[in-house]
Amino acid sequence: MQDARLYSLSAIFQTPDEIAHAAEQTVERGYTAFDVHSPYPLHGMPRAMGLKASKLGYVTLVFGLSGAALALFFMWWVNVIEYPLVIGGKPLFQLPAFIPVTFEVTVLMAAIFTVVGMLFVIFRFPNTSHQLHDTPYMKAVSSDKYGLTIQALDPLFDEERVREFLQDLGAVEIHRIQFDAEEIEARPRIFEPRFVTLLILVALLVGPSTYIILNHVLYMPPFDWMMEQQKINPQMKSELFADGFGMRSPVEGTVARGHLPYPFKGQPDLAGKFLVNPILPTESVLELGKKKYDTFCSPCHGNFGDGDSRLRGQFPNPPTLHSDKSRGWSDGMIFHVVTEGQNIMPSYASQIKERDRWAVVHYVRALLRAKHATEADLR
Amino acid sequence: MSFVDYSVEPPVVEGKPPLSSIDDAIIKPIDAKPTKAWFVAIAVSGTMLLIGAASLAVTFIFGVGMWGVNQPVGWGFDIVNFVFWVGIGHAGTLISAILFLLRQRWRTGIARFAEAMTIFAVMCAGLFPLIHTGRPWLDGYLMPYPNQHGLWINFTSPLVWDVFAVSTYFTVSAIFWYVGLIPDFATLRDRTVSRIKKIVYSILSLGWRHSNRHWQHYEMAYLILAGFATPLVLSVHTIVSFDFAVSIIPGWHTTIFPPYFVAGAVFSGFAMVQNMLIGIRKIYAIEHIITIDHLEKMNKIMITTGMMVGYAYGMEFFIAWYSGNSAETFVFFNRALGPYAWAYWTMVICNVVFPQLFWFKKIRRSIPAMFVIGVLVNVGMWFERFVIVVTSLSRDYLPSSWGFYVPSIYDIGILIGSFGLFFTLLLLFVKSMPVVSISEVKGVVEGAQPSHGGSH
Amino acid sequence: MKTPLQIEFQQKALPTRLTSLAWVMIGAGAALAVAAWYVDGPRAAFNNVVMFMMLASIGIGSLFLISLEYVAGAVWSTPMRRVSEILAFIIPVTGVAALPMFLNLHDLFHWTHAEAVEADAILKGKSPYLNVTFFGIRFVATFAIWYLFYHFITRNSRKQDSTGDQLFTRRNIRLSAIFIPVFAVTVTFLAIDWIMSLEPHWFSTIFGVYYFSGTMLAALAAATIAIILLHENGYFGTLLRRDHFYSLGALMFAFVNFWAYIAFSQYLLIWYANLPEETFWMTRRWEGGWEFLSLALIVVHFVVPYVGLLAQEAKMNPRRLKIMAIWILFAHFIDLYWLVMPTHHESFFFGWMEVGFPLLSVGIVLLVFILRYRKTSLIPTGDPKLKRGLDFRL
Repeated sequence: MQDARLYSLSAIFQTPDEIAHAAEQTVERGYTAFDVHSPYPLHGMPRAMGLKASKLGYVTLVFGLSGAALALFFMWWVNVIEYPLVIGGKPLFQLPAFIPVTFEVTVLMAAIFTVVGMLFVIFRFPNTSHQLHDTPYMKAVSSDKYGLTIQALDPLFDEERVREFLQDLGAVEIHRIQFDAEEIEARPRIFEPRFVTLLILVALLVGPSTYIILNHVLYMPPFDWMMEQQKINPQMKSELFADGFGMRSPVEGTVARGHLPYPFKGQPDLAGKFLVNPILPTESVLELGKKKYDTFCSPCHGNFGDGDSRLRGQFPNPPTLHSDKSRGWSDGMIFHVVTEGQNIMPSYASQIKERDRWAVVHYVRALLRAKHATEADLR
Repeated sequence: MSFVDYSVEPPVVEGKPPLSSIDDAIIKPIDAKPTKAWFVAIAVSGTMLLIGAASLAVTFIFGVGMWGVNQPVGWGFDIVNFVFWVGIGHAGTLISAILFLLRQRWRTGIARFAEAMTIFAVMCAGLFPLIHTGRPWLDGYLMPYPNQHGLWINFTSPLVWDVFAVSTYFTVSAIFWYVGLIPDFATLRDRTVSRIKKIVYSILSLGWRHSNRHWQHYEMAYLILAGFATPLVLSVHTIVSFDFAVSIIPGWHTTIFPPYFVAGAVFSGFAMVQNMLIGIRKIYAIEHIITIDHLEKMNKIMITTGMMVGYAYGMEFFIAWYSGNSAETFVFFNRALGPYAWAYWTMVICNVVFPQLFWFKKIRRSIPAMFVIGVLVNVGMWFERFVIVVTSLSRDYLPSSWGFYVPSIYDIGILIGSFGLFFTLLLLFVKSMPVVSISEVKGVVEGAQPSHGGSH
Repeated sequence: MKTPLQIEFQQKALPTRLTSLAWVMIGAGAALAVAAWYVDGPRAAFNNVVMFMMLASIGIGSLFLISLEYVAGAVWSTPMRRVSEILAFIIPVTGVAALPMFLNLHDLFHWTHAEAVEADAILKGKSPYLNVTFFGIRFVATFAIWYLFYHFITRNSRKQDSTGDQLFTRRNIRLSAIFIPVFAVTVTFLAIDWIMSLEPHWFSTIFGVYYFSGTMLAALAAATIAIILLHENGYFGTLLRRDHFYSLGALMFAFVNFWAYIAFSQYLLIWYANLPEETFWMTRRWEGGWEFLSLALIVVHFVVPYVGLLAQEAKMNPRRLKIMAIWILFAHFIDLYWLVMPTHHESFFFGWMEVGFPLLSVGIVLLVFILRYRKTSLIPTGDPKLKRGLDFRL
């Protein structure tokens, strides 16, 4: 019966040629749970040990390509979908300008995942409690010796025969490496009072300091978040101006944008003569005009301008728009009436924007024409 | 004059030292108490660091108005220093990755140190764009993240490419460096007698066992990382050059910038590595590991890259004239004859003329001579960035908006501080980690590999 | 110091079939070329530029590879260096191949038209550089310099075969060190003269580097094809192994990437800055059917060789490597076609005239190889680095 605590027999060799030979012999004998240790990589050793070629390159390939795809997709999404912004008069998806970032992300992903994959997945690091650690064997192979370890769990392992085999290969020392009894029976120690106290202390330190840094330190000079600036805000007092107001009123006669006064106030004749519809009756304009007409005009004038009010006498019915008189009106005249009102019809200047009023004029023209279509219109 | 025998391979490590003596040579200085010279050195570099910190504090409190930058020169020392430091960082990756792929085994002695230098130089470099934003506590905005403003960064801006390039470069260099350090930490762990060091090294080595089942993947990972680091190192300085070259500023927009910047970066980086190694090999008494042959090879690379840079200077000048573009032509005449002509000629003499001395074998192998030339090269390369950044901005298309840039005392303070940071980190590094890759050097000692024949 | 002769090497003669093949290709190519000159002189002249630059790429690129080996102290390429030395003999032949174009500079170069230069301030400004006399001087000087370096470097190398004297290696290292900067300058101006000045208003500082990356690929590919064909037919005996092919493949892979890097840099900077004095050159290649060639160039010159050479196995397997090398040579032809031809006509064209010249150039390369091969030992038997090169392991 073998020693249950035995991890391996580990032999030390002096020269690289001996270890290369030893590795080949070990493979030939059929041992599989063995390893060669050397202070630096030995050329040809993977072949001597019968190892398959490293597949690490595939990890790199997969993560590199996903990095490239991710970066490109992300930049496309940002620049085309989420925040489209024309830069330098170029298309939104500027492939040449995306290549540098794509390249960097590719390299970053590939490099990180290659190393992470190797260290933590393939090697299962960190592993500082391996049986070989802290043995004279490890100290020797760490410096200038070459070691061959045959583990006890190898199906062919037989302590005497392995020892003989290693001696025949020319090993200068043979070590029995054993599992650490203490470690085998070790219990997790996270509930030890000392450890718990440490955790509490750390929590007590980190919590308040985080609070203070985020809420106080970061708002002390020189950390300037531009929330307070040296400028006059509205409603603030001014030292500079004689009246003491921070806000200034505009220069006399200033006209706000989009608020030019109506030049034909009370002059329907002139309006009818000089005002010309500035927009073309396109489909979208007519639709706009219909929308505005239906909203603002149709309650009194009726859906088709027949003067059939929906108000059931709550307000006097206007005459039909299809009368000869109103049909003879120019666009400017209709616009004027909508703008200023007529008789009891009030002004709609504040409800309907100027452009929209012109759209309404087009729509009204379309209504009039629909009712009085001629032969020519059908062609 | 000695003859080289080309029929035998020159040894990478001189003599045939026993492997354990390599451990001793590299690890002893880490275990020993720091010498007086080390304390003097760190006092000096710490002082420089403090000067930088004070200048930075002034900048943060009063804003970047404390610097010399103003219209029309909005990029001054900050960007000059950024490009300079990024360039210094390039030699490390070049040595560890490109020379690895080219199977230049002489790199083993110098790779670790050069990689560390890369990381520290990139730290110094990264500092400048961060402080140059004016309110560095808002630098989180540089990264794309879903935020309350509903905004995204502009992925077509070379400045954003910079953020990606420099941070990727830093990360990958650090990974590369750490992967190389793992086996060495394991060796340190197995040697040390101190309890605390043992715990630290155990954690850092992750439980490395020198297993050949691991070495196999490890070598593959190293090859892959080298394969990625090579285009990465080219891309970083290329993207830095894009910062200038995608614009339409005369003197900045020229298509040769990408390879020209990379060559310049390698040039200055090698000069810095060479300077530092001259000191290290002397102090550590590892002249047999970092040999004069290695330094000579570095000098050869310096003369090569120096001539590439010279080629680019010439090409820019020729094409500026050839293009028939008056703004281009003016910028180059202005560089050579204008108010910054002194900077231009410093650059040309330091970068193109002095390295020509390396044609002579005697100078290539003379430590004092190469040290001086190395320093001059770095002065020249700093001025190259100064010339590019400042001359083009100070006088571009409109003579009415020309200006003159003078750095303020705080600019100079921050530059000194960046050197302080760099040297402080280096000094801490040489006292805490193996400056030469123990496992790699062991692998290239004569007779360290199994002889061919049996297994082939 | 002398190195004793390290290997016994019996050189096999090339089959005579190959010579006939070369003559057939030259005959057919030349017939088509002459017919092309007769039918459409300007178009033939542009084709001739492509052929000339292609031959120049292979010739001068090979000489550069040789000098690179000497300067870098590389050993893996030493056993195969002779192939590049043989290919470098194309340099003087190239000089001759350029002569027909001198009869027709007027059709090629807009800046040779005196009245056009007079009417154009920019061209007038360039005339101290772009004039026929100086152009001719540059041409002659470039080829004379190249030929001298070729002559001395290969002579030293051949002399070493019999003497084994290491002095020749030292001399060649020195010559190569001087040659490399000379090469950089001359190749740049060759590219500017013969390709960039076809569009005399256009300029790009990276252009010399761009052409250089192509020459490296062409020279490497040509050498690789020759080496592998010779290896497969037993001319190298069993001297070469996967390690050598891997190094060739890796170098080719590196330069595929380098070309892509340079090409992308040039394109991105012009595209991004969007200055009309630069973009017109690119837009010319983005309309009239040329856009398909431009897109194809990315695939042919970068994507296919990149994917094809990425795996370690691909670089080691001589068969795959050979296919990739032929492909890369073809890609370099496409590249030159893309650089030169859109100047001739604004819409894409390819006809029988474009077939004759490549055929002719392949024939020339083959014939030069056969003729030089007879006079040179395939293995530099006296080279001190030979033994190390043969023992080279990854």
